[in-house]
Amino acid sequence: MSKTTVMRLPVSPIKALLGGALLLMLTYVALIAMVMNYAALTVGFAQSVRNDEAKIASLEATYFSMLSEVTKTDYAARGYAKPIAQVFVPSAPATALR
Amino acid sequence: MRAQFRFRIRLIFLGIIAIALLIVVRLYFVQIVHGDDYALKADRQFTSSAGGLFDRGSIYFTRKDGTLISAATLETGFLVALNPQTLTNADTAYAAIQKVASTSVDRETFFAASRKTNQVYIEVAHHLSDAAGHALATQKIPGIQVLRERWRSYPGDTLASQAVGIVSFGSTDTLSGRTGLEAYYEATLSRTGDAAYKNFFATLFSNAGDFLVDAKNAREGNVVTTIEPAVETRLASDLAAVQAKYHSKETGGIIMDPATGAIIALGSVPTYDSNDLSSVRPSVLGNPLVEHVYEFGSIMKPLTMASGLDAGAITTNSTYKDTGCITVDTYTICNFDLKARGTATMQQILSQSLNLGVAWIATQLGQEKFRTYFTSLFGQKTGIDLPSETGGLLGNLSKPQQIGYDTAAFGQGIAITPVQMVRALSALANGGAMTNPHLVSAIKLDSGVTRAIEAKDSVPVFSSRATEEVSTMLTYVVDHDLAHGKDTIPSMSVAAKTGTAQLTKPGGGYYKDRYFHSFFGYFPSYAPRFIILLYTNDPQGVQYASETLTSTFMDLTQFLIEYYHVPPDRAVTSTNP
Repeated sequence: MSKTTVMRLPVSPIKALLGGALLLMLTYVALIAMVMNYAALTVGFAQSVRNDEAKIASLEATYFSMLSEVTKTDYAARGYAKPIAQVFVPSAPATALR
Repeated sequence: MRAQFRFRIRLIFLGIIAIALLIVVRLYFVQIVHGDDYALKADRQFTSSAGGLFDRGSIYFTRKDGTLISAATLETGFLVALNPQTLTNADTAYAAIQKVASTSVDRETFFAASRKTNQVYIEVAHHLSDAAGHALATQKIPGIQVLRERWRSYPGDTLASQAVGIVSFGSTDTLSGRTGLEAYYEATLSRTGDAAYKNFFATLFSNAGDFLVDAKNAREGNVVTTIEPAVETRLASDLAAVQAKYHSKETGGIIMDPATGAIIALGSVPTYDSNDLSSVRPSVLGNPLVEHVYEFGSIMKPLTMASGLDAGAITTNSTYKDTGCITVDTYTICNFDLKARGTATMQQILSQSLNLGVAWIATQLGQEKFRTYFTSLFGQKTGIDLPSETGGLLGNLSKPQQIGYDTAAFGQGIAITPVQMVRALSALANGGAMTNPHLVSAIKLDSGVTRAIEAKDSVPVFSSRATEEVSTMLTYVVDHDLAHGKDTIPSMSVAAKTGTAQLTKPGGGYYKDRYFHSFFGYFPSYAPRFIILLYTNDPQGVQYASETLTSTFMDLTQFLIEYYHVPPDRAVTSTNP
């Protein structure tokens, strides 16, 4: 009669599977947490960008109103006069400035 | 023992599979079946119950140094909504809202809303600033909700409003572009609005490809126009001044780069403030520059001249006998002053704007050749990137009567849009080839890629020799005839021509005392940087375009020369040795 040897795993298979399941569960929860955080950050950043754009739009409105004011300015009424003559000069080489 | 072990293992596996299945089924229901409901619930924490925050791409003007300035963008703030079922004190609520609202809330409307106790959500104030919204929210007034709101904003107000267009609900419950670039580039500017709540699992399971490479990113973006804000402001101001001075029915203008077709500025008055459409007449919302046709009058003469020169029917040295009036097909056509010039030159035709001169050129050309040239110039829509463009009315050129060709030669009897006109005239300033007017130079995609919009190929109509000869004649007009040469710019050659056309009567025929004034020009004459087209419809108390539009044109020319530092193209006296 031969003697049989029983092989024993170092860790119980049930414990190993339970551990694996727990690890998967934790990974899953971590993934969900990551996705939620990512979504929250995305929303936050998008809102932040939009808020900044709105501030820029406000500055741009100021720019346009200033542009309009400059265009409509009557310089003659403010005491400025057109130049009597406009004279163009030939461009001098840079070395002539030394 | 082994059987029992196997049974336990299988039991655990079954348990895990069952739990996994339960989770998957639950996820399926949460994210796919009821996903929209949960997204809406999340939205309601920040936004109105009407849906997500409004989102849309921007439209930009481009300054001469390349800086982008918003023509259309978004603003963020708050709206105030009423829940009549939980509102306890309408007077207190009204006073609190009035205190912070930037625009007054109508008292009667507010109290009428507060009595609608069968409803739970009525919006009573919009566009509150962040500070005002937070101030109202902290009061925690029962029955008052302060919710996030985003809306379309046009920082330039009236600036290029007809070209930029508007966003409105129209006949649907969706905000979308209705006119102008807002409508033409709707597919680029519109946003689906789900970006904030991207469904990770649903996207992953249902459309992995789109998750990795978002197709929307290749479509959605911001529109970059060629409109220069300072030039646009100047043009708008000048057009408004003409309109106010002569009480015209309408006044318009276009400034374009004749080499590329890029429109630097365009506009017409009356116009509107895109941020306040409450009192705007619907008829003003369209864009007359592409939707209305006009008989432009004598600014057509340089095109007739170029046709004659190009075909070889005339030369610059040709002469004809000018009798002041002629009869064609039982109709009498005359020079503007009814006077005969005797033997007249080609330069005189443009300098003195002689109707009989261009009628003579039309006769020399023959009907078929004349029709070929004018159909090339005006027979097609320009394809400009604006909606509702209409085509020209060239019916008289399909008939055998010579009178139709003679009158078309001086810009009467055929009607075209201002954009068609500036496109045709660009051939004179671009070596004989018409460029295609366009407003958009690039699309800045949300993916970060900037997609340049290539201008369509120009269409050759005349030889460069013919257009150079016409440019020489038009430069002579400015130097010697326009305001008797007083407006000439010593350092810059400018080619220009005025046009005065009689207005058509609704039942046919022409008014004797009502006119359409036009003016076009380009500079420097032989390597033009800009072409300008101006018009004013039915100005009061004035007959000729030389009186209404000359100073505006010359002022604009001077402004552009200085603003863009256009170098002089003529020899000028210098005080330096």
